Amino acid sequence: MFKSYHKLVSTILVATVASTALLSADTGASGTYMNGKKVIDGGVTYPIRQGKTALYFVNETISTQPIVHGRTPTANEVKHWDIDVMPDGTGLPEGSGTVEEGDELYEEKCASCHFDFGTGGAGYPALQKGNAYEGRDSLTNQRNSPDDDGPIRVFGTYWPQASTLWWYIKTGMPHPSPMSLTNDEVYALSAYILSINELEIEGEELDDEYELNREKFLKVVMPNRDGFVPVIDGPKGPDNVREFFADTTNYGNGTRCMHNCFEGKPLLARIKGAGISDYQPPISIKRELPPKAKTTGEHAGKKTYEASCAICHATDSMGAPEVGNKKAWEAVLKKGLNSVEQNAINGMGGMPPKGGTSLDDEALKEVIDYMISVSQ
Amino acid sequence: MTKINEASHTEIDQSSRRDFFRKTAVYSVSALAAASVMAPIKISAEDDRAIIEEKKWGTTFGYPVTHNLYGQPSPYEHHVTRRNTQLLTSGNWYASIAMCPIHELNGIITPNGLFFSRSHGGTAEIDYNEHRLMIHGLVEKPIVLTMDELKRYPSVSRIHFIECPANGGPEWRGPQFPSIQFAKGMMSCAEWTGVYLKDILKDLGLKKEALWMLAEGADNSHMGRTIPVDKVLDDAMIVWGQNGEALRPEQGYPIRLLVPGWEGNLCVKWLNRLEFASEPFYAKEETAKYSTLKPSGKAIQHFYANEVNSIITSPCPDKPWTALKRGDVVEIEGLAWSGMGTIEGVDISFDGGKNWVEASMKGLVLPKAWSRFSLMYQYEGKPLLLSSRARDDAGHIQPTVKQEREVMGVESVYHRNGIATWEVTAKGEVNNVQVLS
Repeated sequence: MFKSYHKLVSTILVATVASTALLSADTGASGTYMNGKKVIDGGVTYPIRQGKTALYFVNETISTQPIVHGRTPTANEVKHWDIDVMPDGTGLPEGSGTVEEGDELYEEKCASCHFDFGTGGAGYPALQKGNAYEGRDSLTNQRNSPDDDGPIRVFGTYWPQASTLWWYIKTGMPHPSPMSLTNDEVYALSAYILSINELEIEGEELDDEYELNREKFLKVVMPNRDGFVPVIDGPKGPDNVREFFADTTNYGNGTRCMHNCFEGKPLLARIKGAGISDYQPPISIKRELPPKAKTTGEHAGKKTYEASCAICHATDSMGAPEVGNKKAWEAVLKKGLNSVEQNAINGMGGMPPKGGTSLDDEALKEVIDYMISVSQ
Repeated sequence: MTKINEASHTEIDQSSRRDFFRKTAVYSVSALAAASVMAPIKISAEDDRAIIEEKKWGTTFGYPVTHNLYGQPSPYEHHVTRRNTQLLTSGNWYASIAMCPIHELNGIITPNGLFFSRSHGGTAEIDYNEHRLMIHGLVEKPIVLTMDELKRYPSVSRIHFIECPANGGPEWRGPQFPSIQFAKGMMSCAEWTGVYLKDILKDLGLKKEALWMLAEGADNSHMGRTIPVDKVLDDAMIVWGQNGEALRPEQGYPIRLLVPGWEGNLCVKWLNRLEFASEPFYAKEETAKYSTLKPSGKAIQHFYANEVNSIITSPCPDKPWTALKRGDVVEIEGLAWSGMGTIEGVDISFDGGKNWVEASMKGLVLPKAWSRFSLMYQYEGKPLLLSSRARDDAGHIQPTVKQEREVMGVESVYHRNGIATWEVTAKGEVNNVQVLS
């Protein structure tokens, strides 16, 4: 196998044959690889010719010499890092959890960002928008005017594989502390998310008592399973991709018209109102010296803030006072520092006690002092 | 200054040059830094004080070579920064993007501190000594490498852009941003140094049933993407160098995958694992995101290459022509790029795409790299609709907005490469518009 690959890449003979497929004499571009297959992305490749690829010189002896560095990983090392989960169940561990357990976990660890029942908001993605089988029909929607309903692209209506959900929850969620959930917890959360999307497994609805496990999970068929092109599965997958992107009508191409390319005056679309200009920092082309930085040395509460509080307080999207926003903190501080600290300790509005952290009161006060200090 | 001062006092020299030095020194010491010491003159209103006045930096020491061991830009360039907007933020600043000020850049190389940056769980600060790269799955010889071991492989350096396929994505339904930095700043271009993956794999015995490679990062998001082996064996690289120095943390220090010309998201940062398999992996960022929904309700998945594209960087909304006088001859300049090949040429239109003229290319024109185009223009203070249209050596030409919408609709989010247009008003202000003809 190594030999056949080596032959493809480095023999001059094959390269010479492939040169018949050259597109451009200037850049040395070729629409095919040295094995005769079309370039997979609809573009070109630059075979080595006269010691160069495009304008770059190449040390061609590299490909003729065996080079192996490093060592063989141990079985444990591979197992520890091989964290992906594939549609056929490769990498999906045993475990189980009920919808109800998932609901409780969701309230505790997920609702602060994804909101109740996964409705999303404030920039954080929704996890459901009603019945997924019905919602899937919205994928042909186009928002050509502001009043149009758009396509619903949530887990239930859009994602082709359930394995993606399990993999993502296990390795990417909760956002501030990924890799912290047990396999049973991931099954429970998956069960809850399947249930709020009103998805069924082999015709069965997922009620509160429904217990999801590996076997049942692998039977989930997503409503939009066949909603994606090109088909990438199976031994023909890459060739399907190759054919798809070789045909520009699949994704569009222009024409090089030079004169009178359309009738009449150009029809213009303009920015509505002032457009989006919430930029940080604001756009400027003024070359003036910046104001001198106020403080030096790091505030004791800064690290804790970044690790535990910024997830909600870095922007105002969660409804929490945004750190750095002078007005928001003036309003907060009207209550007096003492009540601000007490509210943070006991919880307030959408904020759980101590923001869901296990900080002691002193550390919490330090963080509050930091947040105030950078919001004045 | 002191030494010259002393010298000019101790040496008696009749030459005018020496005299000049001595007098300058005396003047500067006395802080009388006004008119020239050569021939005192009366300052008139037309005189530029920037020329007439002696300057602090011309009459005192600058800072010593020991001052900035790692150099910094001039403080007068402090406005040249990456920028953010909450609109492009998934709830917090950890899963977000910092846009590159492409209008402030020269040539085709982006300085490392200005390179656009996208992360899904913040910028990981990885300990070089504690980082490993594992290559496993359908290979005869799986390996794990320390970073020093990885760097023993023969290196290559290549200039390539990296572009987020969502660059310009918020504008499928019409223009939104009165700014080039936000309309097109999800991209940058650098010289990358690393090793071709084919040069590592040639001795690991890649199995013939291996069709796909998963690339995964070590950061908080553990983000993975599936890449076809075709590309892996063509020009995919593992890179550790960026413009002559180590990758910046925002670019994946100590190593990232570089998949030239393809979606920036595939160039997995903080790379620690490559796994080969016979079936694709269906990672979140290749189905839930980074797939383009067409009006038929079908979405394109595995849409790899950023298609041929271009943008006029001067003038632009962030750098308008408001200071020009009628009759001034100026350069219209911009960037063209294609993830599918090399730029063959760029046309420019002054009337929104009804009629076109060919611009000149300038500087290096390399595969899958930013390329500069240029056209000289005599400014007359007339309203213009300035558009640019690039084409590449793979036979692709930028579509009009109309042509692109006919195929892709307006819900694709990603891979928008329709022709961009700036409206230049009679006053030289520049507005972001779209031509729908």
